[in-house]
Amino acid sequence: MLLAVLIANSEGNILVERFNGVPAEERLHWRSFLVKLGADNLKGVKNEELLVASHKSVFIVYTVLGDVSIFVVGKDEYDELALAEAIFVITSALKDVCGKPPTERLFLDKYGKICLCLDEIVWKGLLENTDKERIKRLVRLKPPTEF
Amino acid sequence: MAQPFLKKDDDRDDEEYSPFLGIEKGAVLQDARVFNDPQLDARRCSQVITKLLYLLNQGETFTKIEATEVFFSVTKLFQSKDIGLRRMVYLMIKELSPCADEVIIVTSSLMKDMNSRTDMYRANAIRVLCRITDGTLLTQIERYLKQAIVDKNPVVASAALVSGIHLLQTNPEIVKRWSNEVQEAVQSRAALVQFHALALLHQIRQNDRLAVSKLVTSLTKGTVRSPLAQCLLIRYTSQVIRESGVNTQSGDRPFYDYLEGCLRHKAEMVIFEAARAITELSGVTTRELTPAITVLQLFLSSSKPVLRFAAVRTLNKVAMSHPMAVTNCNIDMESLISDQNRSIATLAITTLLKTGNESSVDRLMKQITNFMSDIADEFKIVVVEAIRSLCLKFPLKYRSLMNFLSNILREEGGFEYKKAIVDSIVILIRDIPDAKESGLLHLCEFIEDCEFTYLSTQILHFLGNEGPKTSDPSKYIRYIYNRVILENATVRASAVSTLAKFGAMIDSLKPRIFILLRRCLFDNDDEVRDRATLYLNTLGGDGSVVETDKDVKEFLFGSLDIPLTNMETSLKNYIQNPSEEPFEINSVPREVKSQPLAEKKAPGKKPTGLGTPLTGPTPVGDTYERLLSSIPEFASFGKLFKSSGPVELTEAETEYAVNVIKHIFDRHVVFQYNCSNTIPEQLLENVFVIVDASEAEEFSEVGSKPLKTLPYDTPGQTFVAFEKPEGFPSVGKFSNVLRFAVKEVDPSTGEAEDDGVEDEYQLEDFEVVAADYMVKVGVSNFRNAWESMGPDFERIDEYGLGPRESLAESVNAVISLLGMQPCEGTEVVPSNSRSHSCLLSGVYIGNVKVLVRLSFGIDASKEVAMKLAVRSEDENVSDAIHVIVAGG
Repeated sequence: MLLAVLIANSEGNILVERFNGVPAEERLHWRSFLVKLGADNLKGVKNEELLVASHKSVFIVYTVLGDVSIFVVGKDEYDELALAEAIFVITSALKDVCGKPPTERLFLDKYGKICLCLDEIVWKGLLENTDKERIKRLVRLKPPTEF
Repeated sequence: MAQPFLKKDDDRDDEEYSPFLGIEKGAVLQDARVFNDPQLDARRCSQVITKLLYLLNQGETFTKIEATEVFFSVTKLFQSKDIGLRRMVYLMIKELSPCADEVIIVTSSLMKDMNSRTDMYRANAIRVLCRITDGTLLTQIERYLKQAIVDKNPVVASAALVSGIHLLQTNPEIVKRWSNEVQEAVQSRAALVQFHALALLHQIRQNDRLAVSKLVTSLTKGTVRSPLAQCLLIRYTSQVIRESGVNTQSGDRPFYDYLEGCLRHKAEMVIFEAARAITELSGVTTRELTPAITVLQLFLSSSKPVLRFAAVRTLNKVAMSHPMAVTNCNIDMESLISDQNRSIATLAITTLLKTGNESSVDRLMKQITNFMSDIADEFKIVVVEAIRSLCLKFPLKYRSLMNFLSNILREEGGFEYKKAIVDSIVILIRDIPDAKESGLLHLCEFIEDCEFTYLSTQILHFLGNEGPKTSDPSKYIRYIYNRVILENATVRASAVSTLAKFGAMIDSLKPRIFILLRRCLFDNDDEVRDRATLYLNTLGGDGSVVETDKDVKEFLFGSLDIPLTNMETSLKNYIQNPSEEPFEINSVPREVKSQPLAEKKAPGKKPTGLGTPLTGPTPVGDTYERLLSSIPEFASFGKLFKSSGPVELTEAETEYAVNVIKHIFDRHVVFQYNCSNTIPEQLLENVFVIVDASEAEEFSEVGSKPLKTLPYDTPGQTFVAFEKPEGFPSVGKFSNVLRFAVKEVDPSTGEAEDDGVEDEYQLEDFEVVAADYMVKVGVSNFRNAWESMGPDFERIDEYGLGPRESLAESVNAVISLLGMQPCEGTEVVPSNSRSHSCLLSGVYIGNVKVLVRLSFGIDASKEVAMKLAVRSEDENVSDAIHVIVAGG
């Protein structure tokens, strides 16, 4: 299960958080844990360089893209490698929507589109679409090109 | 300094103005009224939806009324033909997750979209419907969903399949009807459709071994189009391998070639999945393991942290079962100690600690010392636990490892970390006699400056038990009495008890202890004064140096043989119902209730330092002994010699789960059947096991204790006892049938019907084997123990073991046949070695110490020969060991 996708700005304020199968009372804990993890480790990291951590039986893969930091959390079959795949799809889609690694302003300007992309990528904790070209078409309700 | 910072801030105001600045829920909800306009402004509506999404994604919640209002307004937007807005509407409905009575408003719109000619409407409508639907609606739309699964458009098919995966949790019986369509989708040319279909098909059929096996067989031969699907297939393949048992006659493992082939796949994800699958094969051979280890080794020096992490994590697991297989990677692993990513560095360290040999310990410790200062507590705990196991493996290295532990004990750290260190020192003291004195002193120094009351009291308790048995007990008194002067009341009370223990055990110290205890009579805390008074009286505080009475020692050192929870309940009852009678401790029930469940949840869990009683060789046995002695029928059986681990008598996921624990006494064996009922609609009563011992001639049944009731999800135990020849290691096979009366339970009320039906349930057979009569007890220095045992009752013989799979397999087979403790890490056989020596130690029934030296050799045709040398305190036991080996 892909437990969470969280996107924060450089100060650690949450821009997007989507949890799946995480009880409401644990969400706050996860949020602060991830933000702290980012603050401790993401300084000076290059765009899209993936970092990895594990906390109990849960895996976390995270990175920086422009002004935003992205965290994905998973367990069981969503181990560090599957999460790396998921975060790769998310960063490609973000770059595609924003045209470049986004500033916080650009990210918020494109907020609606970004939500749609995330909806296409992860659905209730399962990875659904992985190809950015296809995602780009799907958010505009266009069928995929290969069809 | 302030100037540039301010400037930057000013810039930010211009550039980083947020479109959601000052956003407020109330205002956005007002804005949402535009959804009701007769002339819809699609762009404006999309903006409002974005704002609503922003609020929800920030963790904001809507009240029931707010959510309903927004939901009804959003449904109006189906009138708009604007495609972008429609896509937003789909997302918004999912996010609002309306309740059942509201769903009806949108179902007709969504059903219309589901049959739309526009594919993308269909896909999205499916996803929304499946998110908000319940069982009744699902039967109505089932037909469309089945069509969608085989839709030509991959997005539609995937939407239906992923919906199926979610719906399987809530409506399994409906989704299971789709298996033909899903089967067809598995053959799809679209990569993602195949991936989703494979996942769903496996979930539908996961309890049907044959079907899963067929699926795996066909797909491993066919084409799998995406790395993600390939990973799933590898996982299912290893499940089939696991269930199809060990190697076939030819010695080849089914599907191994497929897994090995995946190691050369172009996607890293697939390579890792295959490598992990291979390393986790049960009874994996060195030949099978090597290619997997080789690819993992390459990834250790990858530039991508995720790959390094994945590689070192997998190797870390392998190191637990096959440390020798990982040693080739040690050089690469050592360079990871300085990896920037602390998770990787910690995994590397702990792997090295598992694979290192005796000569590399000192070098490793040096590297770790530098590393410890800059990692978080949670990582430090992992390292401490690894060091503890290393020390138990190489007891001769205790000096440097104990020093390391005492050094880190002095540094800063939180409670959990300090507790891990203290637990480790305690375990080392217990298992390595030579380490006792230095270990106790380290603990004494620690409590001089310990901020954790819990740890101080636990250490004082431990010190009271172990300190008096050392060569110079008086040196600990200073540390203990300091606590009485300097600490809080809880610690002071503990220190008083510890002082009393020293006084009770060492007569020469008594007068001085009495002086100290008398000073405690002036303490300002009641508990401390009470304890001091009690101990002065029980020890005879009149100053006379007399030997302490046996009862007093029992009072001071004996453990409380009543479960604390039972004690608590009884005391609460006593307080609630005041009575003239004093509280009677014998009235507290001794039966341990939740024990077997906890045990099942933590298989193979190691004894944890201070928390466990430190008397007998098997801490769990102590609990069992209490449990069994509390049952009148078995109370006369005497001292419990050994309890086996649980042996499963049912398969996983059956209606009733039963395992058995074999308790060995001198003249009896007791089988403890731990039963649990996994059916919520049933209550079992009068549960017992009928044991057929016709293949166990020396055993005769003498008693049993049925279980009165076995409700759902509350495990219970039933017992059967047998008599056997005294002190003799009788063996035999037992077949078992579970008998009970079953009553239906109404799930809504939880009440059971009055009438029950008699029923029975066949359990698997199990055996009592020679190893059941041997307790694993290690020695820290085998050579010393061997020499001091002397050659009087030594028996040596040679055996041909015939052709075997490998040397390691032969060594393991003999170790498990004898059930003895391997010493000094000799159970690990280096890969490719032609000969091996293994040292074993144990205590045989009748409390006879036994030491065994095994020398193995293997030739080119895999014929294994073994020389067995036994020394024990009794010649009959030495002979018996040879009989066991000859018979095995």
